[in-house]
Amino acid sequence: MGITSFYFLCFFAGMLIIYYILPKRLQWAFLLLCSIVYYLITDSAVLILYPIFSVAVCYIGIRVISSTENESKKKAALIAVIAVNIGILVILKYVNFGINSINGIAKFMGHNGNVFKRFKFLAPLGVSFYTFSLLGYVVDVYYGIAGVQMNPLKLALYGMYFPAVISGPILKYRECGEQFFEPHRFDYNKVTKGMQRMLWGFFKKLVIAERLDVIVDTVYGKYSSYPGVYIWIATFFYAFQLYTDFSGCMDIVLGMSESLGLTLPENFKTPFFAKSISEYWRRWHITLGVWMKDYVFYPILRSGFFTRLNKSWKKKFGKKRGKQFTTFVAMFILWFSVGIWHGGAWKYVIGSGLLHWFYIVMEELLESPCARAMEKLHINAESKIINGIRIIRTFFLVCIGDLFFRSKNVPSAIAMLKLAVTTWNPHILWNGAILELGLNIYELAIVILSLLILLIVSLQQQKGSVRDMVAARPLPLRWSIWYALLFAVILFGCYGPEYSAAEFIYQGF
Amino acid sequence: MNREELFIKLNEVFRDVFDDDDITVTDATTADDIEEWDSLEHINLLAAVEQEFGMKFNMGQVVSMKNVGEMADIILANLS
Repeated sequence: MGITSFYFLCFFAGMLIIYYILPKRLQWAFLLLCSIVYYLITDSAVLILYPIFSVAVCYIGIRVISSTENESKKKAALIAVIAVNIGILVILKYVNFGINSINGIAKFMGHNGNVFKRFKFLAPLGVSFYTFSLLGYVVDVYYGIAGVQMNPLKLALYGMYFPAVISGPILKYRECGEQFFEPHRFDYNKVTKGMQRMLWGFFKKLVIAERLDVIVDTVYGKYSSYPGVYIWIATFFYAFQLYTDFSGCMDIVLGMSESLGLTLPENFKTPFFAKSISEYWRRWHITLGVWMKDYVFYPILRSGFFTRLNKSWKKKFGKKRGKQFTTFVAMFILWFSVGIWHGGAWKYVIGSGLLHWFYIVMEELLESPCARAMEKLHINAESKIINGIRIIRTFFLVCIGDLFFRSKNVPSAIAMLKLAVTTWNPHILWNGAILELGLNIYELAIVILSLLILLIVSLQQQKGSVRDMVAARPLPLRWSIWYALLFAVILFGCYGPEYSAAEFIYQGF
Repeated sequence: MNREELFIKLNEVFRDVFDDDDITVTDATTADDIEEWDSLEHINLLAAVEQEFGMKFNMGQVVSMKNVGEMADIILANLS
C-alpha cells in the first residue's frame, strides 16, 4: 500500500482518529499495531520476520550490554549485534553485487561470465533504514549515551515505526526515541500543520516528480536515440525528480508524524542552494550523512591504524597536508559506504559515493589556490555572482552523479556522458522536439510552473518555516493558499484508478 | 587545573588547529561559531585536545559533545 494511494489516506485518517480517542498509555502500542499491519499488507507477510528478528537481536544486545560491567562481554555483545544485522543486510542486498562483480571480472579476463549464479532474495520494506536506526541505538547504549529500553515491544516500535521505514529518516533513539512512548494530546495546531506538510509532499510527488519521470524515463530508456541536449535536460530533470520524490516522501512522513505529535529529524535543507559538494551533503539526506559520520567516519579516523597513519604522514608531508591526506583515505571508505548503502551496484558506488569523494577531495585541494587566484584578480569571493556560480557548479556536479545513479549501469552512464558532450543539438529546445518525450505542452507547462513554485518556496525556506509564514497571514489568505495547493494536487496530480504512482525512489533502499 | 586555566589551554589548542590567533572559545562555543570546524576538523581537534591533556575521549563523547563547555567538563572529569 503506497503512501500516496487513496487506501493509505483512509488508513491514516482512521488511525489518526483512533490514536487520539484511545487512552494515552495505549497510543504507542496502537502505533506498533499499525506498523505491523502496514508491513503485513504492503509486503509479503512473511517478510515481517526480518525486522522482528533484527529488533530481537538488538534487544538481547542492549540487555547484555546494560547488565554487565565486564568490558569484553559488552564489546562481544556489540560486535555480535553488528555482525548479525550487517550480515542480514549483506545477504539481502549485496550478495548479488559480489556475484555480478566476480562474473564481470571473469568475463573481462576472457572466461565464461557466469562463474556464480545470482540469488533471488526478497528484502523487507525499509531494511537499510531500520537496520541503521537500530544499530545506531545499540552503539549508543554501548557508549552509555542512550538509555536502555527494557520493553522489547517499545524497541520494536522504534525500529518498525512504519512511516520511517518507507524511505527514512534514519532515527536516533537518544534524540527522538522516547517521544514514541509519551502520551500525546490532540493538538489542533500540530495536526493541521502536519497535514499541510503532507499536502506539500503530495504536490512534490504527484504533480512534479511523477511528470518529470515521464521525460526522464523516455530519454534514459533509449538514450542512443536522444543524444546531446536531450540527455542534459533529462539529467537536470532527474535531479529535480529525485529531490521532489525523496523530499516529498519526507514531507509526507514527517507531516504524518507531526499530526501524531511526533517530531522526526529533517532529511533536507534546500540542497540545491549548496555552494559546495560538502555543503550539499549537509543539506541532502542529512540523517544518512550524520549516521555515517558518527558510526563510520569518526571510528575509522580514531582507529589505531589511522592515528598511526596520521602521525607518519604529518612527518612526511607536513602538518596540514599529512592531516589532509589521512582524512582523504578515511573519506574514501566513508563515501564507498554511502554509495553502497544505496544498493549493490557500481552505479550507486560511483554515482552517490566515490564521485562525491573525488569532488570533495578536489574542493579541499583547490580551495587555497582558488582563494589566492581570486585575491590576485581582485574578485570578491563572497559576491552574489560568485556564490551564484558556485551554486550552479555544485548542481551540475551533483547531476553527473545522478546520471550514474539513474543509468542502467556504469557502461551505460559513460556512453550517455559521451553522447551528451559529443552531440550539439540545442535546436531541440525550440523546434518542438522536446514535446515528443511524453509530455504535451500543457503537461510541460504544469511542470515548469510547479518547479517555479518549488523555487519560490525553497527561497522562503532559506529564511524560515514557510508554514509559519503562511500561518501569520490573515485567515482568508492562508486558507486560499492551502486550498489552492489541495486543488493543485487534485487537479494536476498523477493518480487515480488507471494510474499507479511509481514507488518512491528511495523506497527500494 | 581550574576551569579558567583549562580554557586558556583550550584557546591555544583551538588557535593551533584552526590556524587562527583570533579564536577565543567559551562554554557556549559550538561548531557553528568557527567556520573551519566541520566534521573533518572535529576529529583533528579532539586528537589535539587529547594530546594536550593526556587523555582519551570515548566514541560516545565524540558524537554527543554539544559545545566547548561539555568538552571542558569531560576534560576536567578526566583530570580530577
